[in-house]
Amino acid sequence: MAREVAILWWAMCAFATLVLIVVTALWVHAMRRKGPQMDAARARQLTLRWLVGGGLLLPTLSVLLLLLFGIPIGHRMLPLPLAGEQPMRIEVIGHQWWWEVRYPDSGVVTANQLHLPVGRPVDLDVTSADVIHSFWVPRLGGKIDMIPGRDNRIRLQADQAGTFRGQCSEFCGTQHTHMILDVQAHDEEDFVNWLQARREQQISALPGPAGEVFDAHCGQCHRVAGVSEGNRAPDLSDVGARSMLGAGVLSNEPGALLRWLHEHQQLKPGNAMPLHDDLDPDHLSTIADWLETLRP
Amino acid sequence: MTTPSNEQVAAQEQLHDQFNDVWGNPRGWKSLTIVNHTTVGIRFMLTGLGFFLFGGLLAMLVRTQLAIPGYDFLEPDVYNQVFTMHGTVMMFLFAVPMMEGLAVYLIPKMLGARDLVFPRLSALGYWCYLFGGLILCASLLLGIAPKAGWFMYTPLSSAVHTPGPNSDFWLIGITFVEISAVSAGVELVVSILRTRAEGMSLNKMPIYAWYILVMAMMIVVGFPPLILGSILLELERAVGLPFFEVARGGDPILWQHLFWLFGHPEVYIIFLPAAGIVSTLLPVFCQRPLVGYRWVVLAILTTGFISFGLWVHHMFTVGIPQLAQAFFSAASMLVAIPTGIQVFAWIATLWVGRPLYHVPMLWLVGFLVIFVCGGLTGVMLALVPFDWQVHDTHFVVAHMHYVLVGGMFFPLLAGIYYWLPHFSGRMPSVRLGKWGFWLVFIGFNLTFLIMHWTGLMGMPRRIYTYQSGLGWDLPNLISSIGSFIMAIGIATVLLDIVLHFRFGQKATKNPWNADTLEWSTHLPPSPYNFVSLPPVRTRHPLWEVPDLEERIDRGEFALTVIDHGRRETWGIEPLTGKVREIIHLPGNSWWPFIASLFIAFTCLGLLSKFYWVALVASIVAVLVLLRWSWENGAHPLAAPDARVQPGEPPLHSRTCDGPGLWGMGVTLLANGALYLALLFGWFYLWTVSPNWLVPDDPVIDQRLLLASAVLLSVVVLWQRPVLRRLRQGQGEPAALITCFVGTALLGALHAGLLLWAILAGDLAPRATAHDAVIVVMLVYSLAHGALATILSALQALRVHYGYVCKRTPYEPLVVEQFWQYSLAVMWITYCSVVLFPPTFGGV
Repeated sequence: MAREVAILWWAMCAFATLVLIVVTALWVHAMRRKGPQMDAARARQLTLRWLVGGGLLLPTLSVLLLLLFGIPIGHRMLPLPLAGEQPMRIEVIGHQWWWEVRYPDSGVVTANQLHLPVGRPVDLDVTSADVIHSFWVPRLGGKIDMIPGRDNRIRLQADQAGTFRGQCSEFCGTQHTHMILDVQAHDEEDFVNWLQARREQQISALPGPAGEVFDAHCGQCHRVAGVSEGNRAPDLSDVGARSMLGAGVLSNEPGALLRWLHEHQQLKPGNAMPLHDDLDPDHLSTIADWLETLRP
Repeated sequence: MTTPSNEQVAAQEQLHDQFNDVWGNPRGWKSLTIVNHTTVGIRFMLTGLGFFLFGGLLAMLVRTQLAIPGYDFLEPDVYNQVFTMHGTVMMFLFAVPMMEGLAVYLIPKMLGARDLVFPRLSALGYWCYLFGGLILCASLLLGIAPKAGWFMYTPLSSAVHTPGPNSDFWLIGITFVEISAVSAGVELVVSILRTRAEGMSLNKMPIYAWYILVMAMMIVVGFPPLILGSILLELERAVGLPFFEVARGGDPILWQHLFWLFGHPEVYIIFLPAAGIVSTLLPVFCQRPLVGYRWVVLAILTTGFISFGLWVHHMFTVGIPQLAQAFFSAASMLVAIPTGIQVFAWIATLWVGRPLYHVPMLWLVGFLVIFVCGGLTGVMLALVPFDWQVHDTHFVVAHMHYVLVGGMFFPLLAGIYYWLPHFSGRMPSVRLGKWGFWLVFIGFNLTFLIMHWTGLMGMPRRIYTYQSGLGWDLPNLISSIGSFIMAIGIATVLLDIVLHFRFGQKATKNPWNADTLEWSTHLPPSPYNFVSLPPVRTRHPLWEVPDLEERIDRGEFALTVIDHGRRETWGIEPLTGKVREIIHLPGNSWWPFIASLFIAFTCLGLLSKFYWVALVASIVAVLVLLRWSWENGAHPLAAPDARVQPGEPPLHSRTCDGPGLWGMGVTLLANGALYLALLFGWFYLWTVSPNWLVPDDPVIDQRLLLASAVLLSVVVLWQRPVLRRLRQGQGEPAALITCFVGTALLGALHAGLLLWAILAGDLAPRATAHDAVIVVMLVYSLAHGALATILSALQALRVHYGYVCKRTPYEPLVVEQFWQYSLAVMWITYCSVVLFPPTFGGV
């Protein structure tokens, strides 16, 4: 669908450039023209032609043409009921400043990444937990606002496997910049496998004092399936498998998680996670190592 | 033309001296009392320039921060304050006031009048603008500036998500500044309709005046929805009335509707006066009348109307129904037609004329290229599927700057170069002027042309940095370099303007051989513009009556007697331009300055949450305004001497049709737009709010409300016959006093009942948006009832003092309009609050 919009853009761009060149050329020519002084009747006739041709007909026809092509494209992008295969449903909830992604049919929850099957329509039901955000994956389609108290729906379809970048596009506060969504489109089989793996994922809690620290400090807000039930911050059950940390702040390389735990307020100033200065660095390190192992 | 003799010259100078005694501007501290439109207009423009430089500096900070990926030049929170303030300053403190300032300066001179019709209001508007702007900008220096974007979308701007005074500065400061915008709007409408030269019928009006008339009407109708929205959001933030909070029955999207209901017309409010400059300058440089005057007038009017039906195109991604989107999409594109008509009228004017090349012409060509480009991307954006893709990306940033800088800044610069000799009596430098233009033109396009591409590649707006490797690095760097070139260009232009005051060649009379009356004043003009008011029989007076300036100066035309000490100008019939009365204008006064000072204290009290300071200051401000209104009409300070020359029409205060009547009418139009926006909010929440909470039992005693409304009706019915007789020149003081005292008492009773209804009701305005809206509607009626009561009581007092009588019947008629408006509002409120809900399943 994004492709249709791209074609639309190039067509409009070509047409607009043409209009711009013609109008500017007319203007400049009119300024430089050296003709004989015009008599009133001739001038009147000429100006009427200009006004009707350029002022009325040109914009009217252009607009009609544009609507004729544009409205059907817009119509096809709408999440209207489908006859055959039903679109898959995924819920996306915007938070300051991260994405909560839920697969209602399988109960799988993740954050800041969106896994999609290739080749079939996906309906995303979006809303927000705090302020207005806007869901947008430029290469897959248009955007839709995520508004507290409302459910909006957008239909996307990835035509080939790959990763796409999504980014919040309604200004949502201090860290609007760092609200990036990693979209991964998989072939149907890979997608089913991923969903299956996530559903069957078994996580054993971190033993020892570090585990207690996790329960007391992290688990209050973060959920790790089977370990903690916090619901105010991103679900961490598969954090080890994500490509980025902090919704786009850091690439999730080995050691990045520990760095994030120490420096998250420098890396993403204003985010809701409290500082960890009062926690034992060894415990943090243990927690980070454990989190890195969390993957389906 | 014969050379005037020495006696003639001496007599002429003596006449000018006498005029200066009445019209002259005081110096020193007393210059704060100046109300003259020339001075106020220049103050508006200089202040606008100051805010423009401030806003431009902010833009430079933004471009520096975005020049390279991952740059940490500004902290995120500071960046958010900076871009919010850039938009806010440029829109509210530069574009609108600058255009209004130019109009305030030019309109009376173009129309052949001596001043605007409400000079004290001009001054009040200026001080509100200055103080409001300073308060707003001070917040940035204190580091507590608004930071939720210039559009202040809630819930981000709410007390929960932006605690601290940041958003308050925006809501209160902008509302304060808008007093200035709306008052200038009212004043320009009435001045254009009522104070033109004798014989200047509407179809002989300079085209610029048409543009300003439509702009001013749009301000009058377009700003109130935002004022209302700001008041509601501030009430939510400060007192917890949940108009926009879903959990308690409100809806954040209501804010977006109110904002864009204003925000879209705003674009045309900025563009129309600039197009007016183009339509004024081009014919002068072609030495031929504007082609298609009637077409252009129709195009201006159409633009004004259509622009109020487009606001939803800013909200295509909100998820509104498809049919509505298609409608607003088509409507948005329709604007291309009136704009196309103007562009081709300009081209045709060039075609039939013999253009001369001066610096202003360069800026006009620059305007055309940039504005047409911005218009074309605008048509693209109106197409819903394309908008879904590029909405809130840098594509929109580019589009908007093409429209606003191309459509406003370039014509403004053309106009400033054109009218510079008028401000200073000197000509600017051609060489520096050309350098300035090319630097700005190249810098602008370098900055913003590539930004379309940046947006198409997916870079959203309002992000303070970006990662490398997304393809955004190079275009951003180019944009930043371009912005610095543009800044150098603007500095060059400023240098040119500053230098010309010192080194510019003396301008000859009417240096561009223009056709409109403003060039028949002295350069720079005297405060009274024209020593005698010429009649106008044509659209191009200076082309068709070449020695007009000398004849005006010799006092050959009307209203040349000044020994009565009044400032006077003609009051005309709006359509035909026939003279109806002499409008006598108030002189310099402290009241506007003092009133705006106390409004500023009110704002500061609200901002610092010292509510008692705000309360006291606002009461003082109202008292000052009432005291100001005392020096009106037949008051000896307003018209020291009511005699007129034989054969001249009466003073307006001795008629039933003064400009105050029109001023009240247009003000009530603005007030009505505010009330309609409130009513829209009420019905919108009933139908659309996702979590609308309706109480089980009526929250207000409906009988009290009904009794209160009936009392108000009695007041209006009682006044009617009395005022009808007054209009016919009948009515003794005793009868008038009885009527005004009686209506004041009944009015007080009406207000008292309303207050009782509010206090005794079961209203829980903090708990539900439903009750919060009802409270605002009732308090709105209460305020009107109370003010009307005070005004009637003052009228009784003025009858007692002899300022109002059957020979001076004017003021009660103005007050009557206010009563009638209050009555209409009261009954609409009654129907909406009491009768409507049951039909919708409520109580």
